[in-house]
Amino acid sequence: MDQGIKSRPRYQPFRIDPAGTQHLIVTDQPSPPPGISGAAELWTIAPHPGGQSFPTPAALLASLPGHLARQGPGFRLYAIGTEPFIWDVAYIATHAGLTEGELFLHHAGSLARRVHCIHCKTNTDRVTTNIVTCAGCGANLLVRDHFSRRLRAFMGVQVDAETPGILPPIETLYP
Amino acid sequence: MTQSARIHVRVAEIEPLNATLRRITLQHAEGALLPASAPGAHIQIELRGDTRSWRNAYSLVSPPGTRTAYSIIVRKVPQGRGGSLYLHERLAVGQTLTILPPVNLFPIAGLARKHLMLAAGIGVTPFLSTRAALAETPFELHLRCHAADQPAFQTLLAPWPHAHIHAGPDFNPTDLLRHQPLGTHLYLCGPTGFMQAAEAAARTLGWPAARIHQEHFGAPTGGRAFDAVLARTGRTIHVAQDQTLLEALEAADIDAPSLCRGGACGECRLPLLAGTPDHRDHFLSESEHATSIMPCVSRSHAETITIDI
Repeated sequence: MDQGIKSRPRYQPFRIDPAGTQHLIVTDQPSPPPGISGAAELWTIAPHPGGQSFPTPAALLASLPGHLARQGPGFRLYAIGTEPFIWDVAYIATHAGLTEGELFLHHAGSLARRVHCIHCKTNTDRVTTNIVTCAGCGANLLVRDHFSRRLRAFMGVQVDAETPGILPPIETLYP
Repeated sequence: MTQSARIHVRVAEIEPLNATLRRITLQHAEGALLPASAPGAHIQIELRGDTRSWRNAYSLVSPPGTRTAYSIIVRKVPQGRGGSLYLHERLAVGQTLTILPPVNLFPIAGLARKHLMLAAGIGVTPFLSTRAALAETPFELHLRCHAADQPAFQTLLAPWPHAHIHAGPDFNPTDLLRHQPLGTHLYLCGPTGFMQAAEAAARTLGWPAARIHQEHFGAPTGGRAFDAVLARTGRTIHVAQDQTLLEALEAADIDAPSLCRGGACGECRLPLLAGTPDHRDHFLSESEHATSIMPCVSRSHAETITIDI
């Protein structure tokens, strides 16, 4: 269902930027996509030959800032995976000084969304349905395509404010 | 830029900095306040000689926000097109001139982690007004210059504790460009050859375009004379060897827009209808070369060119 909202991120296919001189690929996917050259460093969650593996996505993300602090011109960072993961990477990378042309995001795997309740500001993770109950305030939220790069989440807006308890059909839209 | 935007100014002070550099201070002709300018901004000055006129762009070196006076620094270029010679040899205190209000095509990147500024010669001028805007962000300024200019530039750069002056032609920025932290923004201003070499070195090292900023100042070099056919009126105007197409349009009283007058900003872009253009700008992409021309620097290979104005 296209909600016609322009903030919905669109992703380009993965490719190594030939203008870069050092490449790091980070992914939360079990197997990195084909086309990764041996010239790139690879960080994964599941052990992968030739890559550095971390027990959890959070552990991988925690190791990024220190690594980025040692990089210079020519460094390129590629994040491949679910949207919450790649936007967490983008947040860390932007704070480390990476900018347009140095950071590339590629969506892979589940479409599950991180939903930000616009009423109580709580994030609800791994949302696969069009309507979700907010983990913070319990409101029934309609998951919008409106994506905030700053909050790294899709906006959720109470759907039954005027008719409490009466909800549209619940469907799995983001498997 | 329209006619109505012009400001009449009076030359308040002329200070020689050395044999070829002078600082010129301008105040509003009627004593009014001038528009506030941003760090890195420039103005255009209109000069009327005996046989021709010029419109040249100069960086403001007065502190940003100063509204009582604007200062510029002008290098005397004997082999230039005459504007700088006029400012060095004819200009007198008390004389009135017209200028166009400040425009900034060289802003400081607000999100930069560090600023690396590379200048050559008079290309240091757009940096001089940015010192206060850098605030707490680390910065490094390197200036390549002729030995004869070193004392004057050293004085100008006194408020810059991190300025490095490299007197002589041997300054190679490659090592500097290689060892910069993530989030460093690069600023280049100087002669075309200097900027091209520095930009090429940065790109080879993987600097993304979004972190490279350049200020191109008009040194239109002239070329063969040609005629320009103005399609909307059918008029034909002559562009002399030492004149730009933009200047010829202005001399014919055509209100053509312009900002940087150095082929960088895109403001003066005109649709090209026929002819063999000699593109000399830094703005148009290859695919736009067939349909557009930047009259502030570009010319015609053939005897006539037709533009949509």
